[in-house]
Amino acid sequence: MTSVKTYTIIYVILLALGTGKFLFFTFDFGYATAMGGTMLLAVIKSLLIAGYYQHLVDEPRSISYMMLVAVFMVFLLVIAAGYSIQ
Amino acid sequence: MSDLPPKRSLKRWLVTTNHKDVGILYLTTSLVFLLLGGILALIFRAHLWESGGTGLLSGNEFNQSVTTHGLVMVFWFLSPIATGFANYLVPLQIGAKDLAFPRLNALSYWLYLFSGVLLFISFFQGGSWSGGWTIYAPLNVPMYTPGAVIEASVGGTMAIIALMMFVISITMGTINFLTTIHRQRAEGLGLWNMPLFTWSWLLTVWMMLFAFAALFAALIMLTIDRVMLTQYFATDQGSGLLWAHLFWFFGHPEVYIVFFPALGIMFETFQTFCGRRLVGRKWVIISMILVAVQSFLVWMHHMFLTTINLEVKTLFMATTIGISLPFDLMVFALIYTMVKGRVRFTTPFLFSLGALVLFILGGITGVFLGAVVLDYEFRGTYWVVAHFHYVMVSGVTALVGGLYYWWPKISGRMYHEFTGKLHFAAYFIGFNLLYFPMFLTWETPRRVFHYSGGDLIWHQMATIGAFVFGFSFLIMFANFAWSLIWGPKAPDNPWKYSRTAEWAIPSPPPLDNWPGRPSYASGTLEFVEETSAHPAGAATDGGTAATDGGTATVDATVSESTGASGDEHAHEGEHADHASIWPFMIGLGTFIMFLGMSGMTGVVVELMSDQIAAHLGTEDVSSNVNADQILGFADMNYVYLTFFLGGIGFLSYSLFMFGKEQFNAPEMEVAERWPFEGVGNTKFGVWVFLASDVIVFGAVIGAYLFMRIWAGWFTFEPIPDYTWAGLLNTYILLTSSFTVILALVMAERSNKKGLMACLGATIMLGLAFMAVKAWEWGGKFAQGDYWFSGLEYSLYYVTTGLHALHVIFGLLVGGFMLYRIYTIDAYLEDERPVEFFGLYWHFVDIVWVILFPLFYLM
Ligand code: HEM
Ligand SMILES: [Cu+2]
Repeated sequence: MTSVKTYTIIYVILLALGTGKFLFFTFDFGYATAMGGTMLLAVIKSLLIAGYYQHLVDEPRSISYMMLVAVFMVFLLVIAAGYSIQ
Repeated sequence: MSDLPPKRSLKRWLVTTNHKDVGILYLTTSLVFLLLGGILALIFRAHLWESGGTGLLSGNEFNQSVTTHGLVMVFWFLSPIATGFANYLVPLQIGAKDLAFPRLNALSYWLYLFSGVLLFISFFQGGSWSGGWTIYAPLNVPMYTPGAVIEASVGGTMAIIALMMFVISITMGTINFLTTIHRQRAEGLGLWNMPLFTWSWLLTVWMMLFAFAALFAALIMLTIDRVMLTQYFATDQGSGLLWAHLFWFFGHPEVYIVFFPALGIMFETFQTFCGRRLVGRKWVIISMILVAVQSFLVWMHHMFLTTINLEVKTLFMATTIGISLPFDLMVFALIYTMVKGRVRFTTPFLFSLGALVLFILGGITGVFLGAVVLDYEFRGTYWVVAHFHYVMVSGVTALVGGLYYWWPKISGRMYHEFTGKLHFAAYFIGFNLLYFPMFLTWETPRRVFHYSGGDLIWHQMATIGAFVFGFSFLIMFANFAWSLIWGPKAPDNPWKYSRTAEWAIPSPPPLDNWPGRPSYASGTLEFVEETSAHPAGAATDGGTAATDGGTATVDATVSESTGASGDEHAHEGEHADHASIWPFMIGLGTFIMFLGMSGMTGVVVELMSDQIAAHLGTEDVSSNVNADQILGFADMNYVYLTFFLGGIGFLSYSLFMFGKEQFNAPEMEVAERWPFEGVGNTKFGVWVFLASDVIVFGAVIGAYLFMRIWAGWFTFEPIPDYTWAGLLNTYILLTSSFTVILALVMAERSNKKGLMACLGATIMLGLAFMAVKAWEWGGKFAQGDYWFSGLEYSLYYVTTGLHALHVIFGLLVGGFMLYRIYTIDAYLEDERPVEFFGLYWHFVDIVWVILFPLFYLM
């Protein structure tokens, strides 16, 4: 399952995406676009790292679900709490 | 490692990792905490004998007693006693020889014990925490509690730290039990057939995993506030709500966390003493799952009196009512089981029945509090006190029933039945005398000893009830003491209709639990012969334990059915290790470190006093604080400093030895593992740990988002001066993730040089990351921007600091691994530890991927 080639490709993509986040805020895209764009890039990067470097694509789905539940809990807390003070 | 010393030697209890021993340790320790918490309650109840107090306690002492009573009962008694049962029984009920990680289990226990000791030490540090067990902000930071409480700030900090240490213990236990229950069930034992106590515990630990992680995050922030003077909970900019959200996101599930094990015991005892399988068993399990899920959807019903908006209050009122429905189903299932079975009123059953009655009353009175309008009237009064004691002590009641139920199994002796019933009578009468009057005095404000004269009679009844209730426990202890000395020997199964697996082996069970490999493949429990080393006599012996639930039609006793004799060591071939001193030592090291940490505030203030004074001269930390107040803390206390640094040294050494020790805990070869087949035990454990870390980090990042939303998003500017420094660190961390995955490839190829090079590169990159960070912080400090300079600064320094701390832990583990490769060629045969390390390291990388835009760009 381990292929140095895959890992290297992913590494290069990750570097590019990291730079992309920076570019969003360096050139004037407007705050909302830049924010949405960077967050999207962050999500893609996280998924790539989790999926390939942490081998989640090869593990039983249940592990991914468990991690998704944890992430969901965070969103639940933050969104509900954020909404409660609107 | 070495053999396990006999039970009569003290050494045995310091080194044991066996689940039954650890279970006994948990049970006895939690009972000691029950006594301590109970004594506190009796003291403050005595103080309440007259309106305005009898003078027994000062105002502050009263607050400390009430607060510590609450903390001890919820955290150091109620949860751990259930953990004790689970430790002892869950492996037996699922057919495992031990928990998945025996040394981790012992470590959980020692952290628990030492955390409790820390809590009580806090009384001698100028007074313990006195702001209620809910630790509401902003009273939870010293600068808002002037006067007497300022002196108590060390003791108060200690109580918070003790709680944090307790949560660390809980997290380790959670990882252990989730791995065990999901991956160590005997062949043929599907989840649906699992005994109900184990079911309830499985759901408990799932809830714990998510709930306690949120509490841990909150406690980290609070501890940093108290020790380093950051301002999460010190401002008037949302601090109170931030704490309430984090605390109750934990706190509401906690209510079910403490109640579920009790519920499980009720299901077991109702089955056994009604001689009948639980009516609607499947629906009961589904209801429990529903409640476990819903428990995370109702936390704001504790916040109806705060400034959260009305829509969200209404929504949470609805979800709260929703959660009572599955509970109704469980209550009816219990009642119908009684109706359809033949009830035998033994002591354990009486307690379980009593628990049911109390729970119904507690539940009904809770509905009042779940309605926004009524809550405006009842919140903060004795109604609440009565309600939550009916619910929580209902749980206690069932757990006491559990003590009687499993006493013969654990001790090997019978208790005295009549005395047991006497205990129940005193307990039940005392309890109701204590708490029912509190519903009637609902106008008395909570945590206040001044009440209107008309309520005097009710309060005096309650105090009398408290003493009756407290005394009833002495009957129980006397009964157990009598049983240990004179009690008749218990058969394997003293209860005619009990059917779970723990009753199919001797009382008490032998160290290895089973005479062979337990299997449910044929529908009932059998012991399959496993190794040739096994004596032929005990082969495939038909125990008659079903997976779960007795039935009134079966009249045969199962007591003499097992062929195992206690002294038979069937499994010497496997060489499972049982003894290790390092869990104890790690617990001790952590204890010393935290003891020192509680007094570090003074040291920090002393070291930073110029900066604090300068800073407060220009800009207010918050309107209530002035420089004198904070600088009053200054105190270079070398004793605390020594403890803190010495503790870190001792802890590091113990962790190192723990890591080096050879300790074999064989993974079950044949087991039911749904839905987690296909990952090893350790890897699964690592993933569970990471899931909890997602919540910890998520809550800390969430705190930043929440405070920023509160402040109006655009009032915050990025704190770091140079965006490129963050970008550089992004590149560095991504590269280190790449090298660590290459290290795994090298380990798989058994390439020692390559492995050392890749792991070494990872460590160098980690150090480079820290160097950039240090440079960045140094620049900020040079400009006079510190973590106490304002809320945004606290958020920036703590969040990125927590991440940096993760990097440091990773570096320590990585360094250890490098040392192991160099000295003993580790991981070349078995590369899995490198993979586990990688999982952690990549996780830390992912966190940075989120932190970088949040703190450097937006
Ligand atoms: C046996 C298990 C018990 C549990 C789990 C328990 C739990 C708690 C908790 C969580 C609090 C809240 C403390 C706070 O508000 O900070 C509390 C308060 C209190 N407890 Fe207990 N308790 C138990 C037994 C007792 C006993 C035996 C007594 C009386 C002798 C007692 C009397 C009280 C009283 C009067 C308060 C004050 C409540 C307040 O003013 O907030 N409790 N208890
Ligand atoms: Cu609640």
